[in-house]
Amino acid sequence: MSLVQLLGFGEQGWGATLLLALLMTVVLTIAALAVGAVFGAMVAAAKLSRSRTLRIIGDAYTTLFRGIPELLIIYLFYFGGSSVMTAVGHFFGADGFIGVPPFVVGALAIGLISGSYQAEVYRSAVLAVSRGEIEAARAIGMPTATLWRRVLIPQVIRFALPGIGNVWQLSLKDSALIAVTGLAELMRTSQVAAGSTHQYFTFYMVGGALYLILTSLSNRVFERAETRIGRSFRGTLARH
Amino acid sequence: MNIDFEFLGDTLSKLLAAVPTTLGLFFASLIVGGMLSLVIVAMRVSPNWALNRFARGYILVFRGSPLLIQMFLVYYGLGQFPAVRESFLWPLLRVPYVCAIVSLALCTAGYTAEIIRGGLQSVPHGQIEAALACGMSRWTVLRRIIAPITLRYALPAYSTEAVLLVKSTALASLVTVWDVTGVAQQIIQRTYRTMEVFICAAAIYLVLNFIIVRALGMLEKKLSPHLRDRNATAPKKRPQATLKAVTVPRQPAHRFLNPREKTS
Amino acid sequence: MNPSSSIALSATNIHKSFGDAHVLKGISLDAHEGDVISILGASGSGKSTFLRCINMLETPDDGEVKLAGEAIEMKRGRDGRLHPGNRKQVDRIRSQLGMVFQSFNLWSHMTVMQNVIEGPLRVQKRTRAECVEEAEQLLTKVGLYEKRDAYPAHLSGGQQQRVAIARALAMHPKVMLFDEPTSALDPELVGEVLRVMRALAEEGRTMLVVTHEMGFARHVSNRVMFLHHGQVDAEGAPDDLFNGRCSERFQQFVSSHHSRTAN
Repeated sequence: MSLVQLLGFGEQGWGATLLLALLMTVVLTIAALAVGAVFGAMVAAAKLSRSRTLRIIGDAYTTLFRGIPELLIIYLFYFGGSSVMTAVGHFFGADGFIGVPPFVVGALAIGLISGSYQAEVYRSAVLAVSRGEIEAARAIGMPTATLWRRVLIPQVIRFALPGIGNVWQLSLKDSALIAVTGLAELMRTSQVAAGSTHQYFTFYMVGGALYLILTSLSNRVFERAETRIGRSFRGTLARH
Repeated sequence: MNIDFEFLGDTLSKLLAAVPTTLGLFFASLIVGGMLSLVIVAMRVSPNWALNRFARGYILVFRGSPLLIQMFLVYYGLGQFPAVRESFLWPLLRVPYVCAIVSLALCTAGYTAEIIRGGLQSVPHGQIEAALACGMSRWTVLRRIIAPITLRYALPAYSTEAVLLVKSTALASLVTVWDVTGVAQQIIQRTYRTMEVFICAAAIYLVLNFIIVRALGMLEKKLSPHLRDRNATAPKKRPQATLKAVTVPRQPAHRFLNPREKTS
Repeated sequence: MNPSSSIALSATNIHKSFGDAHVLKGISLDAHEGDVISILGASGSGKSTFLRCINMLETPDDGEVKLAGEAIEMKRGRDGRLHPGNRKQVDRIRSQLGMVFQSFNLWSHMTVMQNVIEGPLRVQKRTRAECVEEAEQLLTKVGLYEKRDAYPAHLSGGQQQRVAIARALAMHPKVMLFDEPTSALDPELVGEVLRVMRALAEEGRTMLVVTHEMGFARHVSNRVMFLHHGQVDAEGAPDDLFNGRCSERFQQFVSSHHSRTAN
């Protein structure tokens, strides 16, 4: 079978399947990033807080999720989660093995890991916002909620954007590890295609190339976003 | 909650037995990848257009795709070609351990090359000029000025990369290497006692990472006395100074042979 | 200036352009042994570029540089531009020229002592004992013996520049080049560096000094060269130039400089 047939969209072609898998990878990474954003924001807040206990908890979180191999964390959620689900199921009278949906495992595991990196990004971004601007807002009596909305958040977004771009890239590549749960994302699908056709080199190359396209495109998108957001700030400076 | 200490102990000993494998993967890929990264970075900063482009492409590919797919390419993909199977490298390349090391080395070389390049760009241009103005050959300038300063700038970033490398060795378990993660996964699948096994394995990796970060931190500190507090290099008693014949109190010879020893 | 003393350094017809800007338009200079030549001019007049062309930190587009009679070989490359023909010769000649930079450029990862012995040790391949002994003497001479184990980051600007001078002296240079040695210093630190330079001049060293320090140019150097837009506008003994017997442009330069520094 020729290369074109293998990868094409015909009956024996894997083209459509691979593209769907690529979509799955993207959706999975978005979900993970969302989970990570929530945890990351909480941990960043903990690390910035005045309470020593909270700071220790925040540090523990980042140490754990940056120091433990991603694969182990995935195993924890997948096998461990399944054990818990099965036990719960048995409690309610269900039978047999109940697995946690791989997508949930993936989003949670990669999400929590990306959360530790996002926490650091948010923390530096908050610290980078100049105190003077906050003081100026307070000096005119701006209420805290408005302060957050009009002064802090826009600045934090600007400073955090490059870092989030990095975390996105990182999570995109980490998502390949979810293949061990059998989820039909890009890595797993390449693996299945390679195994069933014995065209290992071809499909792993194609899979790798598709990941490369994803990361390169993401790079460009983030760069453009950074320029656009930066422009508004530069314009502000130029006006004064 | 009843903790099964016997199981924990048994698991721990099994996992610890796999630590040498993990360490082997780490050090081998660190060294090979490190040497390869020097080649890549030399190409990356070279004025030769072809070399430059190749290095850029290399770095893009190995930083833009998941390590797992790179590893599978090496392990499964290479064996597909008769040319490879019949070459003299095959006895090596068919071994999962070697494939894992090759793949890890190729990947870390890409990241490390970028880290080194960042360090290179931080070397103050004036200090290079001063060295050239002394009549140092370009090789000597590289060896005595550029390399030491680059190392000092790159170490912090490299510390992060080293930790990532330790974590990456876990992927070798997916190409049938029996490292700590591989053994852990096997125990989990047989006993379903995920939590205990996870805690043991995670602890081992955390300890490894801690040691590595500490070691690199000490190296960093040792290499950067010029960034330490002023008071660390306090002046000594001033000898009788004239512009003519100078009688300087003799310092023990070894202090100048080992100038990095802390003074006072 | 003793006409019978030999020519230590000569630069002939040096041209240099950066892109479209023709910065040096044929500058020539003959420095006899013992000459202390101050090179003055407004910014952009090309004085630093001229100095850097002498030790080939910039490659001139035309012209020749000779140190003690030995000319630096230049070859015209395929792109039509001039290149030094022999790398080893350039390194050797550089080792006989001492250069002191505006921003000191001490090697930040080495102590003061290591900075001073690095050149003699690695380039001139002298023994460590000999290098160290001489370094101690030189550091005492510039008044920094007690800082020999300190790192550059721990020293003030004036101290760093004095170390840089000791470092240049350690190479036993035939000619010393100073590229605006005091321009980056706080005013109160300028004096200590000028004192060292004056001592060197009185020893009879051959020095080329690009500077804004009019006092040094007038009282310490024995020749002054004034550059204007890449050409030599005036040249001669300090008294001739400063007493208004030469170029009017030079008078304007000096007076505008004086009003700026209120000296």
